[in-house]
Parts: sequence; C-alpha cells; structure tokens
Amino acid sequence: MKRTFLVLLAAAFVLPAQVTYDRLVNAQKEPQNWLTYWGDYSAIRYRALDRINTSNAKNLRLDWMFQTGQAGNFETVPLVVDGVMYFTAQGAQAYALDARSGRQLWHYSYPMPDNIKLCCGTVNRGLAMLGDRLYMVTPHAHLIALDRRDGTLIWDSEIAPAEKQYGATIAPLAVKDKIIVGVSGGEFGIRGLIDAFDAKTGKRAWRFWTIPSKDQPGGDTWLADSWKRGGGPTWMTGTFDPQLNLLYWGVGNPGPDLYGGDRLGDNLYSCSLVVLDPDTGKLKWYFQFTPHDVHDWDAEETPMLLNIKFRGQDRKVVVQANRNGFFYVLDRQTGEFLMAKPFARQTWAKQIDDKGRPVLANGGVPTPNGTRVCPGLAGAANWMAPSYNPETGWFYFPVREQCDIYYSLPPAYQEGKPYWGSVFRGATDEQEYGFLKALDPATGETKWDFRYQHAPWAGTMATSGGLIFAGDQDGYLMAFDSKTGKNLWHIYTGAPIVTAPITYLVNGKQYVSLASGAALMTFALP
Amino acid sequence: MCLAAQSGLSASIGPLEQGKALFRSNCAFCHGLDGRGGRGPNLVSAPRTHGESDEAVKNVIRKGVPGSTMPAFSTLEPDELDALVLFVHVLHTGASGTETAAGDPADGRKVYESSGCPSCHRIGLKGSAFGPDLTRIGASRSLEYLKQSITDPSADIPPEYAGVAVVTKNGQRIAGVRINEDTFTIQIRDQSQQFRNFEKSELQSETEMKQSLMPPYKLPQQKLENLLAYLASLKGEAPVTGPVKQTEGIR
Repeated sequence: MKRTFLVLLAAAFVLPAQVTYDRLVNAQKEPQNWLTYWGDYSAIRYRALDRINTSNAKNLRLDWMFQTGQAGNFETVPLVVDGVMYFTAQGAQAYALDARSGRQLWHYSYPMPDNIKLCCGTVNRGLAMLGDRLYMVTPHAHLIALDRRDGTLIWDSEIAPAEKQYGATIAPLAVKDKIIVGVSGGEFGIRGLIDAFDAKTGKRAWRFWTIPSKDQPGGDTWLADSWKRGGGPTWMTGTFDPQLNLLYWGVGNPGPDLYGGDRLGDNLYSCSLVVLDPDTGKLKWYFQFTPHDVHDWDAEETPMLLNIKFRGQDRKVVVQANRNGFFYVLDRQTGEFLMAKPFARQTWAKQIDDKGRPVLANGGVPTPNGTRVCPGLAGAANWMAPSYNPETGWFYFPVREQCDIYYSLPPAYQEGKPYWGSVFRGATDEQEYGFLKALDPATGETKWDFRYQHAPWAGTMATSGGLIFAGDQDGYLMAFDSKTGKNLWHIYTGAPIVTAPITYLVNGKQYVSLASGAALMTFALP
Repeated sequence: MCLAAQSGLSASIGPLEQGKALFRSNCAFCHGLDGRGGRGPNLVSAPRTHGESDEAVKNVIRKGVPGSTMPAFSTLEPDELDALVLFVHVLHTGASGTETAAGDPADGRKVYESSGCPSCHRIGLKGSAFGPDLTRIGASRSLEYLKQSITDPSADIPPEYAGVAVVTKNGQRIAGVRINEDTFTIQIRDQSQQFRNFEKSELQSETEMKQSLMPPYKLPQQKLENLLAYLASLKGEAPVTGPVKQTEGIR
C-alpha cells in the first residue's frame, strides 16, 4: 500500500502541472493536449494525432456525454490539459471534467448581477489557461481568473461598463504574463477596444481603442464626432507570433451597421486586422478589408498564421477568409497585401485592387427600399474556425451561401439602444446553402468542396490522420478525407452545431470532442 | 453582429416615416408593400379580427398570432412599435371599404366538400394534414390571395408546402411535401399522409417540384365565389397555443 502511494506520488511529480508560456508557444509539440482556444497561437487547428484516421474513422462512436443543462447556443471550445478538460457554458459557467470519462471535477457559476441589460446575450466561447489559472469573460464584460484546481474565483475585473452596452463572449488569449480580451456590442454604438490585463493581479496593463479619436492617426476617417459611437467590436480571439512578437486581432463593424451617411470616410479600424505589440498595445500595422462597411461585415474571422511558399518564395503570412466573401493573404511582418480571391458569391465588389482595396460594384449599398446583396449580413464566412493541414498545405473552412435584402435609414443614437441604421432580411428567391471548402492558400484555388444543405455556423479541425472534422447547421459532426473531401463518417448530434471540434489523447486513446445542444459530446474508436 | 434583432431603427425621421420603413422591412414580405395582403392578411380593408385599439394591434405584433404564420416581433423598441402601429392605422383608414365576399358560404361549403378539398386540407380536426390547414384561413389571407390559390396555386407556394419528388435506387418514385431535409437525409409527407424517410445515399435522384402539389381548379364563377365566401368565413381558433417565435439568429 505504502509502495503504491509512493509510486503515485512520483508519477504526480513528473506530470507538468502548470501551463507555462513556454508550453503555449510550443503547443503543437503536445498533440495530446489542447492548450488554447485555437489549440495553439497560430490558429491552424491541426493536431499530429493519427490513431483515428481515414481507414477507421467510420467506426467512431460516442464515448461519453456531459450535460450542462444550460439553454442557448453552446459555443465553447474546451481546453484539455494532461487528462483534464476545462470548458465554459452560457452565462459565465466553467467546468472541469475527467477527459476520459466526462465525470465532473468542479463547476463554477459566476453570480451575475440582477437587472442588468446585456447587449449580446450569454454566449461564452471558452477559456485561456496560464500557470494554475483559468481565465474567462462574463456576459457583462468582466474578465475573471479561476483556480484550475477547484474553480475558486481569484480576481474579477471589469473590462468595460455593461451599462454602456459592452458585453463579452470571447475566449481570452494568454500571452507571456498578460491576458488579452476584446468586447462585443458593435450594434449599440460602443467604441471598441482590446484590453490586456496582468494575469497575476487582474490590473489593466494596456488598452487599444479600435476607433481612434479625432486627434489620433485615423481619426480623420470619421465624419464629425461619429467616432465616439463608431463600433469596432473585437469579439473573437486573436492570434500571436512569438518570434515576431506581434498580436493579430480582428475588428468588427462600424456603427451604425447599415447606414453610413453620418460616418463618411473609411472608418478605421473597423473591419480591419490590427497588429499590436503585445507588451504595450501599440499599433504596429493594420489592414482594412472593408473600408466604410455598410453590411456588418466584421473582420472577426480567424487571422491564421501560416508559413507557405507564395509565388516561389517562403513567406510568413496571415490569412483570413473574410465575411465579405474574399480570401486574403498578407505578409504578417510588414502587412504587405499579397492576394485576395473570392471564395463565395459576392455582388458588392468588382475586384480588389493591387493595394487590397475593394473597387465597389453598383447597387451594393443598402437603400430605404432594400438592396439585394451577396453575401448576406452573416457573411460568406464568419467566426467559425477554419483549419490547416501542413501535409496537404490546404486551408479548410465553412462557407455560407446566402444573400440578404439590406435596408437603410438614418438612425438617431440613444445610449444603450440598438444602433443599426435599419434592418436586413434574408433573400427569399433562393434557399441558403453552404460548403466545407478546401482551398490552396497560396493561390486561392478551391481544391474540393462538400455541399451542405444549410449555411453552416460550425468550424473545422485537421489531424495527421488525414481527416478534417466539421460540424453543420443541421447538427451533424462529420469526418472527411482531407485530400479528397470524401465524407467518411457523420453522426447526428440533435442540435445545430455552433462551435468547432477538438481532439486529444489520454493513455494512448484519441478522442474528438464537440459541444452541441446542452451536451459536451466526446467520440472515440471502440 | 447580432442576427436575432430586426429592430434598432430609432430613426431621426418622423414617426410615420419610421413606421413605414419598419413596415417595409418587417411586414411587407407577407402583408404586401401596400398592405393589401399576400401570404398574410390584407391590412387595408380586411376586418380587424384581433381588435382596433393601439394596444390590440401592438399585442399582435409583439406576440404574434398562435396557429398562424404571424411571428412575434418581440425585439422592437417601444417607440418603434408606436411608429409601426401608427402606420398600420393609416393603412387601414386609407381603405375605401371593407373587403367582403359576395358569394354564398353555405353553398361554398358544399363546393369545398364535393371538390375533394378535404382530401388534402384540414378545418379544425377534420380533413387531411397534407396541405395547408384552413381553420382560420379567412382571417389570415386576403380574398385575392385565396382566389389565386384556387385558380393558380403555383403562383405562390409557401416554402413549408414545397413539393419534392425522390426516386429510390430501386426505381420507386415518391412525391410529397418536404417536411425536413439536411445534408444526409430527407423526410417527406406523401398524399396518404404517411411520413416517408430516406437516407440520401438510398436515392438516385431528388427533384424540387416547380409546380404546386395542388392542382389548379377551374370552377364556374358562381361556385368559385361561393367557395371563396366559405373560406373567408373560416376564422376559427387554431389548436396552437403560446406566442409564435421568429427564427432566432446566432451571435
């Protein structure tokens, strides 16, 4: 008995207990774990795990299922660290489970204040982990730190006031000794921001306003004082290049969403990628995908960091399948525009010029009587995670084929009220549909696609087993051959899927996990 | 972004213009740009079955109409609701008279029963679930729309009654109403009201039917008028309770 105890104690010491910054930088070297929202800093969502592969994926079956009982969209992406799974659920809930059995280790529920009007619902997309702490946001735009051992609250800091209609749904990003977050609320006349907090103390380390004031560079891209309610939310997790020490973060729509008459100008840095020094929050460079947007085409889609051969040269690039229907490739050190190619139907731009600026088509702007434009307001892509397989060199992502009728009218700003500038309606002359698409990021060429019955809201994951995992709007989790696009396996989960799967390994067994409905479902081979 | 909201129109324009704009973007799809009906009732000349007062109209907009396709527009701000109600009142008072059916509803009922309508439609609990439920069709469609639905049913096919035909790999053809469909499966209700469920891998083809599953009826003028009068008289309570929700979006 005593001997067993000593052996167990020794085993505990060799387990890496804490998630250090160094482990985060080298996350791809721990394929058994899933250490950040994206799985690593580059957001390729790839794992070198091949126990589940193209020849046996058809045998996948449900291994365990955990029910949260929480209503609403379950958009979390779990973290898995050394056999323990951590994830969030709607309304600021956090859970720790045994990643092999799904049995609960602890549950934390944040006491939300009563009588607070939330701008953006109760969705939560996940956690960051650093050291022995987990970090999550709350619907009323707080960032909190929890002890990963038992879920105890360590600190609670307000990001921005919920009374001014700031909210938060994002999974935070841990970089060095800081926790970086963004905000929601772009439909309520907020002024967007990216904040860094000291991981230890919860004190704000820096803030970057995504909408510059009149006297700052870019302030002249806003008419009069429209910058004060200019939107530019930052509700999706950014990416990070440790070698270049650069942080990449997408910025959302300008406000009001559909009426631009009161905010003439390019409206920086809305619908842009901003690239910051993670130590100071200083802007290093930016690229605006959709100047003066009037379609709610946030640039919140994943800014994925890739090293590819582009026109014969090895390049470090950042790529994004943007909501506006174009796939962009930028040099991630300098911001140089390299390429933009349409990946879905679009009717708003004639082309993207050689500087990366769209040349507008006629009839693409919302009007009082309504204008039919593709893509629709939800975009040809959106926040749903893409993935990349280094073996094929291809980018895998969900595509939405759907158009909208966009209406426009000048709105009056009232603090705390929606600030849309009119409305949109789905085009009714056709049914929406979608694709899972494999694309060569060096050329923008489609390598294969798989048609979905409905436009998807779910992301993808790649593995060295030659597989792409993806979800769809009808509730299927699916596995595809990454080379051919052949569907190898699918299972109906019973609810629309609004997040992306992960994979991990415990005791030599590979698992695939996904949130659907109110359940965290985990699949494995028999 | 937020896909659930269809409001947010605190316009810096007059309330009547604001109401018109809200109507155009939220209501016109079913009630027509001029309010004279379509898939929804004629708001210009049809009687107000849910009451005339501001509060009654607001209630319909806010909560929807159970048993009908009128959804709840619960995200409208109070000032938007006021503006919309103002515009709906203006639409109604702009009518030259109320819409009435000239025919004989008692004879129309006989026409309904003798023309085979109950083999596809249901009134109350009587009839078939294959086609649209007509229990309160008189309250939810304009006469013009009803007439077109009888004489030229393919002119407007509600998506929930769109026809689809599949052919299985062993050559069997099944046509009916598409109840549900996803990437891998399809569920059909055939004319015998049976559910026919398929994996798409079992099918050799699937065809959207361009024509309505309902045949066009060429009735003598008087019989048509009588049938219309009968249908217009159907304003019964549908067996659905609770508010009708708009499709929720995703944040």
